Amino acid sequence: MNTYNMVKQRFIKKWINTLHMLDSSIEHPLNVTERKNAIRLSSDLAIAAARSGSTVWSRALISRSGNKTTNKPMARRILKKARNRMKNRCRTLRRNGNFTAKVGVRKRTELLKSLVPGGELIDDKDYLIRETLDYIVYLRAQVDVMRTVAAVDLVTGNLTNDRRNK
Amino acid sequence: MDLTQGFGARSGVVGPVTGLESLNFSDEFRHLVATMPPENTGGSFTALLEMPVTQAMELLHFTDSSSSQARTVTGDIAPTTLHPFGALTFPSNSLLLDRAARFSVIATEHNGNISGETANSLQSNSGANLDRVKAEPAETDSMVENQNQNYSSGKRKEREKKVKSSTNKTKSSVESDKLPYVHVRARRGQATDNHSLAERARREKINARMKLLQELVPGCDKIQGTALVLDEIINHVQSLQRQVEMLSMRLAAVNPRVDFNLDSILASENGSLMDGSFNGESYHQLQQWPFDGYHQPEWGREEDHHQANFSMGSATLHPNQVKMEL
Repeated sequence: MNTYNMVKQRFIKKWINTLHMLDSSIEHPLNVTERKNAIRLSSDLAIAAARSGSTVWSRALISRSGNKTTNKPMARRILKKARNRMKNRCRTLRRNGNFTAKVGVRKRTELLKSLVPGGELIDDKDYLIRETLDYIVYLRAQVDVMRTVAAVDLVTGNLTNDRRNK
Repeated sequence: MDLTQGFGARSGVVGPVTGLESLNFSDEFRHLVATMPPENTGGSFTALLEMPVTQAMELLHFTDSSSSQARTVTGDIAPTTLHPFGALTFPSNSLLLDRAARFSVIATEHNGNISGETANSLQSNSGANLDRVKAEPAETDSMVENQNQNYSSGKRKEREKKVKSSTNKTKSSVESDKLPYVHVRARRGQATDNHSLAERARREKINARMKLLQELVPGCDKIQGTALVLDEIINHVQSLQRQVEMLSMRLAAVNPRVDFNLDSILASENGSLMDGSFNGESYHQLQQWPFDGYHQPEWGREEDHHQANFSMGSATLHPNQVKMEL
């Protein structure tokens, strides 16, 4: 039974791996912003890897993240497979049916396409919503885990500071 | 609904067949229950259907929440309270996410890309899925199984419908061994030719999916109209992405290095992440291993050598300590 908790567990495991790989491949950034980017990148890769399915957003996220790092073996490996699959998938997705879109809906779907990674490749509105739903689940897992990590880190950070001060 | 495009263009071989197609299932089964007595022997499932969907999901959630990380779902149903994720700002709780997460797994397995990680009973293609699901012993699973079966057979039905929709007089589709014929009754005053039937079925599917999306995004149920629902969804996605950005900034500020210690999270996840009440948990953990802060660099080095084993090892070690303390 796949539950939300299992999603989070998968994300955590992947995140540990990506963090270590990222840390080993880049020189130690002293800047907070660089660290933030590295953490964000690793967690994005982690949710995409945790999804590990044939969703457009996961592959698009991997390719988008892969462009941001110079040498990252795991991302490259996934990226190669993802690139091939994504080409085929885009072809099938572009079978356009007839649809009449009202103006408001059209604008909003374009905005949604810009938000969801890989959304621009999806022409079928129905499929876009499916992708969005899936993406929201994994985004939520990411937020939950990161929030917990941040809280625990904060508490342990305070404790170590107290001990050092004593 | 103007989202009905694209359905007619699809042939029987559809690339992205995700589990959300199973949503059409609930609509058609309502027709089914209304029109003819169900033939399948899954009595518990039909009982499930007569309940509102959210109640059914609640029951499913009981089975989910009762299973800890170690046990499979065949455990006993200790009626745990529903756990809303503690300090979340979002009012929607875990069962919706479970439901959506389940759909995402259905999408995974149905597309043939079976990830080795999710070792659940959904992970096969339709036919084998039914057999394996049948083998599950516990009665708590019966509802889950039936739902799984019906998801997969819903997908098969969906595919067959797409192939046959243009030629069928009625909307009955030859089902797998599990489900009987599905008849869609035309309501009074509605056209009954093939096109409108197909259109109506498509519209209902889209509506069902939008309903699920509305449930997932908090505050969306009261909004009518596609544009506003999309607005809510967009806001939700944007806020989630912004939160990720802020949280990663926070993590970067707290930790001097990128590979911060996640083992504590793995150990505590069973307590804190699942229950959502992490404040008390973290305090307990502090009392147990206050030395972890000092040993952080060493653990980081160890992890470079054996990542996978290490994370699993620590996970088994610490939860015992945590649980005993509790």
